[in-house]
This record gives sequence, C-alpha cells and structure tokens, in this order.
Amino acid sequence: MEPKRGEHGSHVAAPSLWPVGFAIGVAILLLGTILGWVIAGLGAVITALFGFLWIRDATNDLRGEEVAIEPERREVAPRASATAEPRPANEGEAGMPLPEEGEVERYPRSAFLGAATLGVGGVIGGLVTVPVLGFTILPAFTSQGSGQVDVGAVDDFEKEQWLITTFLQDPDQGEVSRRTAYIRNNGELDGQPSFTILSHRCVHLGCPVQPNGPVRDDEATRETRAENEITRIPADPSGFGCPCHGGQYDTEGNRKAGPPVRAMDRYEFSIRGGRLLLGQTYSVSEVRGQGAEARIKRHRLAKPGVHVDGPSSWLYPISPP
Amino acid sequence: MARRAPSSRRQQLERAALVPVDWLEERSGLAGGIKYFLFRKVPADINWMQTLGSATLTAFIVQAVTGVVLAMYYKPDPDAAYASILRITNDVTLGWLVRGMHKWGASVFIILMFFHMARVFLFGAYKYPRELNWIVGVGLLALGLFEGFTGYLLPWDETAYWASVVGININGTAPILGPFIVQFLQSGIEIGEDTISRFYALHMLVLPGAIGGLIGLHLYLVVRLGVTSPPWSPEAAGRERVEPGPSTNGNGRAGLVRPGARSGAPR
Amino acid sequence: MSTRLEQRRAQHQRYKEDVKEHGKPFFPGAMWHDTVMSLVVVCVIIALASIWYFTSGENPEDAGLLGPRYTEEADAGTTNFIPRPDWYFYFLFYLLRIFKWPDSVILGTVGIPTILLMLMVGLPFFDLRRERRLLRRPVAVVAAILVVLSMGVLTYKGATQEEALGGDATVVADWVDRNNLPASAREGATLFNETGCQQCHVYLGSGSANLGAPDLSDIGSLGGKTEDYFTRYVANPRTFGNNVMPVYGQANGGSLDDQQLGNLAKFLAASKGEG
Repeated sequence: MEPKRGEHGSHVAAPSLWPVGFAIGVAILLLGTILGWVIAGLGAVITALFGFLWIRDATNDLRGEEVAIEPERREVAPRASATAEPRPANEGEAGMPLPEEGEVERYPRSAFLGAATLGVGGVIGGLVTVPVLGFTILPAFTSQGSGQVDVGAVDDFEKEQWLITTFLQDPDQGEVSRRTAYIRNNGELDGQPSFTILSHRCVHLGCPVQPNGPVRDDEATRETRAENEITRIPADPSGFGCPCHGGQYDTEGNRKAGPPVRAMDRYEFSIRGGRLLLGQTYSVSEVRGQGAEARIKRHRLAKPGVHVDGPSSWLYPISPP
Repeated sequence: MARRAPSSRRQQLERAALVPVDWLEERSGLAGGIKYFLFRKVPADINWMQTLGSATLTAFIVQAVTGVVLAMYYKPDPDAAYASILRITNDVTLGWLVRGMHKWGASVFIILMFFHMARVFLFGAYKYPRELNWIVGVGLLALGLFEGFTGYLLPWDETAYWASVVGININGTAPILGPFIVQFLQSGIEIGEDTISRFYALHMLVLPGAIGGLIGLHLYLVVRLGVTSPPWSPEAAGRERVEPGPSTNGNGRAGLVRPGARSGAPR
Repeated sequence: MSTRLEQRRAQHQRYKEDVKEHGKPFFPGAMWHDTVMSLVVVCVIIALASIWYFTSGENPEDAGLLGPRYTEEADAGTTNFIPRPDWYFYFLFYLLRIFKWPDSVILGTVGIPTILLMLMVGLPFFDLRRERRLLRRPVAVVAAILVVLSMGVLTYKGATQEEALGGDATVVADWVDRNNLPASAREGATLFNETGCQQCHVYLGSGSANLGAPDLSDIGSLGGKTEDYFTRYVANPRTFGNNVMPVYGQANGGSLDDQQLGNLAKFLAASKGEG
C-alpha cells in the first residue's frame, strides 16, 4: 500500500515558515513607504531576517549540513508497523500509522500544507482585495464636503418673491453638479436678513420638484460669476409638487400630500459683501410658522426616502459621512 | 464508414478535414465534449416553448457583441456621453443599427427571461432535482434587471438621468445599509463626475462577467440534469407507472390506469 | 410507503431511463427548433431597431412609433422634466405611486420587491410535490395567473400614468379641442396647467387626484356655479369651508392677481366635460 519513495535526504526542499515571514516583511515595507519611514525600516528588518533564514534553509543541502530539525517531523512510534515506516518528507496522511494505544497523534504534514496553502492564498487574496475594495468604496465616503456657492447679490432677490435659482454646486465638476434652489427673500428679522432656500430634490426619491404656479421665464436674469452660470427665474408658486409619485409640499416645504417622508431639504446660507452664499444642505422634519418667523426642525442631511424622525427613522440608525 | 461507395477523393478530403479536429481532441478532449453536448438524448416530446431558454441566450449574445462595438465609440464621461450617443446614433455608419439593436435587445432579453421563467414554472421544471438551476435562473433574472438599470443611465439624457436618480434612491430606502448603497453607487453624495464611469464599469465588466459565469453554470446543469417533457405529454419521460420497474412503454397500460388510481388524490 | 426523497430519486431514475430509451438526440431535431427561434429573436431585434430609427428624427422631439432616439441632455437642475423609468420597471413605478403615505414608502421600494425575490428563490422549497401537470397544481396555476395579471395591470397603469407638466402647450391644446373651450378660456387653461392645479386635480385624464380634490373636467356643468363663484372660490377657498386647497388670491396672501383669477374662472366655467 505504501510506495516507498524518496531516499533519505531527497532534494525536495523542506517546507518552511520563513517565506511567510518574508512576505509579511515585504508587505510592511511597502505599507511603510506610505505610512512612514519607521514602519518601512521595521519591514526592511523583518524582510532581511526572514530572507536570510529562508536562504539558509533552502541551501542546507548545498552546504552539506545536516538538515535542521523540522517542526513537522513526527517521532516514530515505537510500535509502528514495519511496513509503515514514516517518512515525513513525502508521505501523506494515508501513510500515517494508526494511532495505537498511548500514542499521541502529531500534527500531520499534509494537514499543515493544506492549511498553509489556504492561509497563503488568503493572504494573497487579501493583499489584492483590500486595496481594490478600498479604492472602490472609500472615495465615495471621504472628502464629500463642498464649498460655498455665490448665487447673486442680496439685492437681486426681491422681498417676498420666489426665484428659481439654478447654479453649479461645484464649477470644477461642470454641468453634472447643476442644482436648483427655490429662494425667497423673507426680508429682515431683528435686523438679520432671512431667506427661505429649498432644494429642488424631492425627499421621496429625488425627482425634480416643480413649482405649482406661473413661472415667468421671460423675466429670468442670468449672471456668470467665477465660472458659475447662475439663472434666476421669478415664479409665484402656491406650493411645490413632484411629478414622479405625486408628492406635494407647501411653500415652507412641509409635506402636504403623497409619499415624501419629511419636509423639503434646505440650504444653509450666509451673506458676505452683499452676496448671498449657499452652503451645505440639511434635512428638515417640520417647519412651523412662515417666512422669517418659521421655526425649522433641523436634521443632518439624509438621503431621499429616509425618515429623520418618528419610529420609521429607527430603520436608519447610522448615516454615511 | 457505412456510406455507399464514396469516391476516394471525397474520402481523402474528409480525412484531411478531420486532421485538425483529431489534433484538438487528442490534446483537449473538447471535440468529445461538444459531441456529447450535441448528441445527448432529450425527451422526444419536447416542445416549442422549450426554445425560450436558448432564445434568451441568443439575445444575451446579441447584447454582448453590440455592447463591445458600442464601447469603441461611447465615452463614459458626463460632459461627453450625450454627444457620443448623438454621434453614434446619427453620424457613425450603421451606428443607429448597433445602438438600436442594443437598446431593443435589452428589452427583448428581459421579456425572454420572464417568458422562459414562466415556461419553467408551468412545466414544473423547477422541481427535484432541478431546484439549484431554478435559483441560478432567479439570480440571472436579478442580474439582468440590474444590467438594464446600469445601462439605462449611460445615454445621459433626461430620461436616463432621472430614472437613475429614482432607481438609486429606491436602494437608499433599504433599512440600515440603504444610504451607504446609494453613496457607493453614486460615488458620492449626489450623482457626480464619477457616477457614469462607475455604472459603465458595472455594466460592461462586472455584471456581464457574472451573467456569463451563471449562464455557464445554468447550461451545465441543464445538460447534466436533462430537459423535462411537457407535463401533459402522455409519453412524458419519467411519468409515473403503476408498477415501478422497467419501462413498459408501448402497451398503453400506464396511461389507462393512471387517472383512476389518482382520481381520489387531488383533494 | 417509501419516503419522498426515495420517490423523487426513483422518478428521476425513471426519467433518465425513459430519455435513454425513447429520447432523441439534441442535434439536429431539438437544436433546429432552437435555431429557428434564435433567428426569430434576432430578426425581431433588428426590426425593432429599424422601426425605432426610421420613424424618429434627429431632434429629441421627433419621437417615432417606438419613442424618441434620445431625450434632451441630462440636466440635474431641471424643474420641468417628468421622469419615467424604462417599461420593464413600470410595475415598480406604479407600485411606488400606490404607497402614497410616508410610512409605507419602504413597502413599495424594498418590501414588496424583496418578498417577490424571496418567493421566487424559495419556490422549489415550498412546492415539494412531484406533480407537474397543470390541472393538478391549482394553487400554482392560480398564483401564476394572479402574478401575471397584477404585473400586467401595474405595467399598464404605469405606462398610462400622466402627470401635470407645467407649461405643456400640447395638453392645453388637447383640452381646448376635447372640451370645446371658447377662445376666452384658453388663457385660463394655460394658467390652470402652469399653476400646478393638476398636482391635486384631474382634468380630462391628466393630473393626479390628491387630498380628495375633485375631477374638474366638467365642473362648469354643475348647476349654480358662475364665473364670479369660481373667482371667489379660488381666491379664498376658506370662505367656502375648504381648508385643504391653498389660497390663491393676492388679496388673501396668494399668488394670483384679479385678472388671472378671472381667466381661471372663465376656464372653469367653460369646462362642460367631453362631448
């Protein structure tokens, strides 16, 4: 049953753990080039150490030295049958003598090789997968903030007049970042200017919300400022409506009918040098009151269709950065 | 071999033609595999409805071929995509045909998947031992719909853009992970400069690769498990006989006894 | 009695024997059918592509029998585009319109599609009988018919769902035509269309019924409703006990001036319903 093959001192290199350490060293060295020279130095040391051990191991035969003790070598059981003389270098599990009374089974070499293959394969897979997955996923979640957008002089916004204002959120990205806001100058409250600035994306599923009322296209004003084309069209809406699934909002952005899960998103704004600047968008669960006196229940920006209050919001416990 | 006195010239030609086939067979066994695929037995009573699967495969091949060619002219960039679609449709020679075939082939592919699924359902062909193949088929249907969804954005016209906005945000309402899926698909908080190339990569490489692999598995299982007879066929392969044992086909006994034996059973 | 697994195995064994004894080779008989079907498929695709192309024009507005070649270039800031999905997502699109309450949104977007997918994946595990003949699978057949019917209805409803499009001149022309509106009502009709009245009211099949608002196609044929009545009503619905409809009269804080209200009232009074 047992073909006896391989003379003692065969030329097949003995399996060794050193290459694994060598590979880890190389990985640390590479990581170090990004993370810092201390880590790179550590990696270099590990690489050199394991590289030396590996070479020493592999050249044992050439140097004519006795093979060092192999960790996997099983001791020959005293009562092992004569036909099953164990030969660690090239025998599989099948070749092992059945454990007899009192004999402790040692970790067999083939199992070690199997596990090592799986392990090394896993390491290779990880080395490829981790950067690739990171590259695919992480950029979508990092550095997503955008700067402030100048949409015109405060004087361009007549009091109590809605202006459909279209602008580029990020002129570097171009037309793909075109956004529309419904802006109404509420006048001043306690000496502070007040604006109602609603984002035109429906909070149901992101469709473009339309003003319910006459749009005076012929009175549009255009302005180009810092490579940003801005269009302002006066409109007299009695509310806003979404043409996809029939969501309805009032002029403060509160949901009146249909599936929207919260009030319309709003833009933060600031005024610098007489210019109106739009900042980040934020989500709103409810607005009480009107215009300058409105009391807004503000939340972090959420995706369309995501509840920000009430029991349904428990479905979305964490939100992406 | 058994042919009637073929001319020696013809024999020579045939032998010459077989040389490459033999060469290939000796080194790969491929010819044998193809032979097995072609000459495997299928039930004698199979029906036209059972061609829907291969018709779906044909539609997929049409999509793959036309898609590869379209990729030679299409530019996955928000500033250039629409212009390249206009150019393909109106200017490039036969571009209208290739784009038209890809556009309408997508609809045909999806219709055929549903028809094929309906056929399998009506034939009860998802039952033992073909459960796994049904599941693979459902996976193909889901991937096919996702392929349609990712391809829909690429023309970058109004319809494409806003349908994609809604489609992406539908995923966003999934509990817990939804908002993350949205941001992953869009490669940002909103559809931006990277979204279209991301959809393009999914549409061109990831999904077709996955679909192709699953089609291979699907076909392997079809060949391995065999094709079902129509359930109403009196000669259906594997139909129940009164006495289990060697087939007693031809004496008509099974057909006569079966209804009576089962008449009380349905309720 | 043998176990179900044994019976299934025996049946598959029988199937294999039957096919071996009485089957026919896949090539050429069966493959011929497959090839003919594939030819049909390719011809249909080419025919669709040709009809689509040759009946449409370079301009996005020149839609042919199978729709336009493309619509206008994507505009992320549009305020007058009405998004619609491709036809095979119409069922989902209409499903989303059915769930018109905020807390039910998730049912249409994720809930029902997930349940359908799970039912499909699980089908071979809850239909464990060996029976394949249709007449002996009443549950399966009824379920199949219901699924096909509901998908068909949803797809049809999705395909024919119309929506108010602000400033859509063709819709207004269609109304003038079908409702025999006098010229004086045309301005009001345009205003009606622009002002978003169709977000809640249906007019000749266009628009959506929200907040219990009535269909206004024949509002003018109801007794006792004069232009003056409509002017006052639209200006301030509160005085008529309507607390749902927005206030439109400028005097009451709305967005329409007296002349616009008058035009709107002319249009409503002239709306006598089709025919």
